[in-house]
Amino acid sequence: MSGGNSVNRKCIAMLLAGGQGSRLYALTKDVAKPSVPFGGKYRIIDFPLSNCANSGIDVVGVLTQYKPLQLNSYIGSGQAYDLDSSDGGVFILPPYQSAGEKGSWFSGTANAIYQNIAFIENYEPENVLILSGDHIYKMDYSDMLREHVQNKADCTIAVKQVSMEEASRFGILSCGADGYINEFEEKPKQPKSDLASMGIYIFNWKKLREYLIADENDPNSSKDFGKNIIPNMLAAGEKLWPYRFDGYWRDVGTIVSLWDANMDMLGNTLMDLFDASWPVRSKSPIKPPHYAGPDSKVLHSIVTEGCEIYGDVSNSVLSNSVYVGRGAQVSYSILMPGAKIEDGAEVRYSIIGENTVVRAGARVGSDPDGSADWNVATCGPGIEVGAGAVIKAGAMIYDCVPAGEGRDEQ
Amino acid sequence: MINLHGLILADRSSRDLRELVMCRTSSSLPFAGRYRLIDFALSNLQNAGVRDVGVIMQRDYQSLLDHIGSGKEWDMSRKRGGLRLLPPFGSNGEYEGIVDALENVRGYIEDIKQDYVALMRGSLAASIDLGDVMYRHVHSGADVTAVCTSGAPEGVHHRFLLDGDGFVKEILLRRSGPGEGVATLEVYVMSKEMLLKIIDSCDTALYHKFHRDGLGGLIARGGKIGVYMHDAYYANIMSVDGYYRASMDMLDRAKRRELFPEDRPVRTKGRSDVSTYYGDQAVSKNSLVADGCIIEGYVENCVVFRGVRVGAGAVLKNCIIMQDTVIEAGVQLNYVISDKDVVISAGETLAGAPQLPLVLPKGSRV
Repeated sequence: MSGGNSVNRKCIAMLLAGGQGSRLYALTKDVAKPSVPFGGKYRIIDFPLSNCANSGIDVVGVLTQYKPLQLNSYIGSGQAYDLDSSDGGVFILPPYQSAGEKGSWFSGTANAIYQNIAFIENYEPENVLILSGDHIYKMDYSDMLREHVQNKADCTIAVKQVSMEEASRFGILSCGADGYINEFEEKPKQPKSDLASMGIYIFNWKKLREYLIADENDPNSSKDFGKNIIPNMLAAGEKLWPYRFDGYWRDVGTIVSLWDANMDMLGNTLMDLFDASWPVRSKSPIKPPHYAGPDSKVLHSIVTEGCEIYGDVSNSVLSNSVYVGRGAQVSYSILMPGAKIEDGAEVRYSIIGENTVVRAGARVGSDPDGSADWNVATCGPGIEVGAGAVIKAGAMIYDCVPAGEGRDEQ
Repeated sequence: MINLHGLILADRSSRDLRELVMCRTSSSLPFAGRYRLIDFALSNLQNAGVRDVGVIMQRDYQSLLDHIGSGKEWDMSRKRGGLRLLPPFGSNGEYEGIVDALENVRGYIEDIKQDYVALMRGSLAASIDLGDVMYRHVHSGADVTAVCTSGAPEGVHHRFLLDGDGFVKEILLRRSGPGEGVATLEVYVMSKEMLLKIIDSCDTALYHKFHRDGLGGLIARGGKIGVYMHDAYYANIMSVDGYYRASMDMLDRAKRRELFPEDRPVRTKGRSDVSTYYGDQAVSKNSLVADGCIIEGYVENCVVFRGVRVGAGAVLKNCIIMQDTVIEAGVQLNYVISDKDVVISAGETLAGAPQLPLVLPKGSRV
């Protein structure tokens, strides 16, 4: 921090990265969801952090709680995002203990920010941007801030149009004739609109501070932005403005959505990662370029530095340092950093965790067969699938599988 | 922290590198898909724990400056010490040789805080454990320790004949091809005092050569030059042909492993590139491909740098394609070295020969 000398900022960002991401199961057994690898070169948190850097927001507090070690070392000083400036930067904010208190875990998204009021005050910001670490999107927060200021809003919520069928999975907003939000419902059974909250908020800091303190003193509150803070502000007649976003935006909180969004990266029509005007930054591995062997075949796939490919790869996303042996076949799969697919192994419609080894001749996942229980197979990080073992479609594997065995645990 | 200071000679380029050093010094020549040659010297120093390094430069160093910047990538951007760029003071034409270059930075050398100095060329591609060289130097009682190879580096080089104790008894100057004794890779570890003594001993116009007069004189005075054998891969790139062959060496897994060992990573300037995308019709065989490329065509026996585009139906064989080059649809290339930012328009066919690859200078439009 700036050592007591507060630096006035128009807007600082607070990134909620403490969630476990329990619906990613084995993939988050040792790491928090924001540090799950994505799209070859990236981890999920690279997207909001790059958005901050590209939007000119140079103070970012990252709130961590669940298994933060990898996240801490990955973010480091924020150098990879050019956020390591002299009077700003990225700050990891774990829960902490205060004098005379026992200290407590973050009990909800709003409580996490409440516990870091002192950090925010240090910058005397006019506004605070609240982000979550589990979405893949490119957004210019400075544009959202401009609308927020122009409309003299107390809170601006980024919203995206979704289909009416999907709407009941989101927080749904309705707007009045003046354009301001007049209703907010968390996961409504009968949605009244198709405007979904993206979980991205800009608050007037003075206002938010009041509501955080009031909410903290409410014993019945679940200390959550969507469930408590936003409805309370609406009820009190504060001005809430919707910031409409029509770009690519995906929640990657489940195995299927994570797999889907990775597959989206194979085309540049949905989100152009090559666009130099809005670079998504990441901490690059220090690896030589990837090597494609004399008999390798790589089609419609993403490959990252440090990979060595001797077999067939199609419709897949390979993070750095992946090895695909001779005669191995990889299709419609996501291979996370350091995954090793040995000679003759088959990996189809699967997610293979970091540094996991699939031994020779093993089979993981299968092509869709139309059956209801078919799904993407997942092998967690750091395990070994023994030679000739068979992992069925839809399986979720946490531990090593001995050679020759079959597994289909869900 | 290791008691060693790095001194990198990035002042000269071999003329036989022709177009490849038209707009840069050989130390900043792009190599192996994402590196510059000086990355190896800098990374060798970094991996040995050296943080204070001087880079001696003389001319055409714009691209070198751009590449190394503050030295942040090699942890050499420090509050005290760190990386120091040493351009010429005044303009007295080209440095005549190593001694001339060192004399020009004598004040810097005198101020070095460490007791030992590693002197090396910025254009040598090799992974050398300098911590080990330093350890051997200190324990062998040698005045200078030279990193040598039993093979024959490309072009003109100096060879050492050794006595029964393994110290240099005679220097064979300016040899080429294989020969007696061992060949120096011109990586030297010695005390700072010894380096200053060698510079001083070459202080007349007639005795001004580092190897002949400096090291030769040291032996004549009874000094001991020890030898540290480097038997792993190295490339001393002196010509276009040599550059081509060393690049193709990188398609060999064993050589690649020796130049890029897991425990001594080679660092370079980052670019925040995307992963590379292969299209539906892409073919990539026996090729090294960096990040940020879009490959829609056929690539075989090639080294492809960051940010290259290969259009549909293009066929590239035995080529080296440097960063951000665009190869449009249907282009056919064989034995071509394309420098940075080249654009080759649809349908063109260009070919060199195995012994004489065709070089397209930086920024060419074909």
